[in-house]
Amino acid sequence: MNDTFLISIVTFTYFFAAFVFLISIIFHKKSVDKWALIITVAGLILQTSAIIMRWIHSYQLGIGHAPLSNFYESLVFFSWSIIFVYLIIRKRYPNKLFGILSAFFAFLILAYASLSGNVNCTIQPLIPALQSNWLISHVISSFLAYACFAIAFGTSILYLLKIKMNVSMLPDAPFLDEVTYKMISIGFVLLTLGIITGAAWADRAWGRYWGWDPKETWSLITWLIYGAFLHTHLARGWRGVKMSLVSIIGFIAVIFTYLGVNYVLAGLHSYL
Amino acid sequence: MIKKLHKLFSSVKLTIFLFLFLAATSILGTIIQQGLSMERYKTLYSPGVFSALKFFNIFDMYHSWWFTTLLILLSINIIVCTFKQVPRIIRLISPEKKEFDDTVFKSSQIRKIFQSQKKLSDIERQAEIIVKSLVGPPVKTAKGDAIYFLAEKGKYSRLGMILVHISILLILAGGLIGTMLGFAGQMNIVEGEKSDTVALFGGKGPEKLGFDVRCDDFTVEFYETGMPKEYKTDLAIIDDGGKVTSGTMRVNHPFIYKDLKFCQATYGIAGVSDFLIGARNNKTGKEIVLKPDIMKKVPLPGSNASFAIARFVTDHGGMGPAVLGVLLEPGKAHDIFWIFQDGHNINQQQKGGFIFTLKDFSRLYYTGIQVSKDPGVFIVWIGFCLIMMGFMLSLFFTHKRIWLKISGSQDKYEISIAASVSKNRKAFEEKLEELTRETTVE
Repeated sequence: MNDTFLISIVTFTYFFAAFVFLISIIFHKKSVDKWALIITVAGLILQTSAIIMRWIHSYQLGIGHAPLSNFYESLVFFSWSIIFVYLIIRKRYPNKLFGILSAFFAFLILAYASLSGNVNCTIQPLIPALQSNWLISHVISSFLAYACFAIAFGTSILYLLKIKMNVSMLPDAPFLDEVTYKMISIGFVLLTLGIITGAAWADRAWGRYWGWDPKETWSLITWLIYGAFLHTHLARGWRGVKMSLVSIIGFIAVIFTYLGVNYVLAGLHSYL
Repeated sequence: MIKKLHKLFSSVKLTIFLFLFLAATSILGTIIQQGLSMERYKTLYSPGVFSALKFFNIFDMYHSWWFTTLLILLSINIIVCTFKQVPRIIRLISPEKKEFDDTVFKSSQIRKIFQSQKKLSDIERQAEIIVKSLVGPPVKTAKGDAIYFLAEKGKYSRLGMILVHISILLILAGGLIGTMLGFAGQMNIVEGEKSDTVALFGGKGPEKLGFDVRCDDFTVEFYETGMPKEYKTDLAIIDDGGKVTSGTMRVNHPFIYKDLKFCQATYGIAGVSDFLIGARNNKTGKEIVLKPDIMKKVPLPGSNASFAIARFVTDHGGMGPAVLGVLLEPGKAHDIFWIFQDGHNINQQQKGGFIFTLKDFSRLYYTGIQVSKDPGVFIVWIGFCLIMMGFMLSLFFTHKRIWLKISGSQDKYEISIAASVSKNRKAFEEKLEELTRETTVE
């Protein structure tokens, strides 16, 4: 069996999970929520196996490397990270809406990876610059950070919906605010680690840890925005709408760091 | 004046402003390409825009006076804010006073008072449970009529934030040292040749190394797709005294000599030589091999014509390397045609009764080396390690303190609780509520 085929099964599994989470919210059934969780976990196990399979397959092709090296692989890992982070925070923030959000987000990313024509899903050999021990730690910390920011983005949107339109099925505003803050503080630490591992790698590859390359600069811009978020929260006690807006702007910067730099700007990171 | 300045630099508003202002201006440098030559910029922008951009140093904006000023302002801001926090942190982490001060029961972040009519020993046992499950093993003290229980945990997590801010300062300082005392540039050396000059990035001119760098060998391996798999250079450093230090450098594995780092950045073909051109006689079927240099004609045995190559290309029309051959026959116009490696475009290679093929040639590579010197890098690494330690301290540990006082007399004891936590206050309060509910219900 092919790993890309497995990934397309995972895509529909996440869609199904999001759907079951939705049913559990509409009918207020605890047992349904449990099923949605089981489906999500099954999706994650399947996705993890697909990633491992792809890893093994690359070795069989004689171009062995961790499957974190091109756009398709990064999308797959991004969706994996979102579900992974969701399952970790689920115990602390047991809210079905986060289940829908995460599963649907993961589904969208995988659907784009599998169905969009401009994402090449073949296993490609690694160019010399990517053959580094820093690859795995750099990519994992960066994408776990992106996943945290994605969830914070979701809760910020929910917060605005709650405040501005008073949607009754949404959780309390202070609760959403707290989750946004927690996800951003963890994401911020992971982003810092991502930048540091990237800097260490750049120092080995190009002889400098920081070169103001567009990707590097955009990661710094993202870091500064979320850094400002944390300072306003901690020291100035900002809450609510203003924070949600900063969180949304921060996530736009994340998306630009991830995709915009590659599609809009030229730089050394052309391989993502 | 000084008071005003102090107020400005000790405000978090300034930090937030600087963060967002740095973020906003940094975008500029990702849109406008950095470090090109002025001639290139002149062709990209109209004269008005060009001089405006040049005035603000936008072409090398991350090293401009105003960007550096912003970073210095940020550093002062961090120093002042961090120092302002120091007394508070020292107070928080210094050993607890043995004297119990009842004011905590009025001033603490979290407070609770309730009565109990149980036996003193039962209340004490439960008090111990509350303190232990919320914070940790309690220290019990009696003072006057009252009994105190006290526990504290994770006070060093308070150092986390200070550590993070000191690290940022270290990283900025390391960066500044690197920019002032270090350099970075590129040198391209053809196989077998040597150089002692680095072309600095950002158009800053050449930099003499004071010794020669020789490229002894360059090798490149390819995947089946034609994509490079690995390339490396055997380098030799020849210093003034003639001492030779050699080593190998490949992508992601730099060669380090003294305080200089040599990174394998690129490679390219500097030239080609030693062409072998096969010419097969159509009638006899016999092949002869010619060894022409570029633009030097050689006689074509078995005919009165001669042959030369005009130029070489690495790829002609997707059919691989090719040379432009010239056939010179007396009394005829020059015949110019492309000659490919075996199997390609045989028709075009039939000229003057011969079939020409490009049998072999040797490539002469040059290696592209990124040379850098950065005396600040060590400080930056320390900053990186400390910042992660600081984050871990404040992320995984919480500073919790609790005071519990049992006062009053038989049948009507009063239990006062005071606590403070550095984070997750809500969860702490819920747990306290739960524990005291159990106590009162029993």
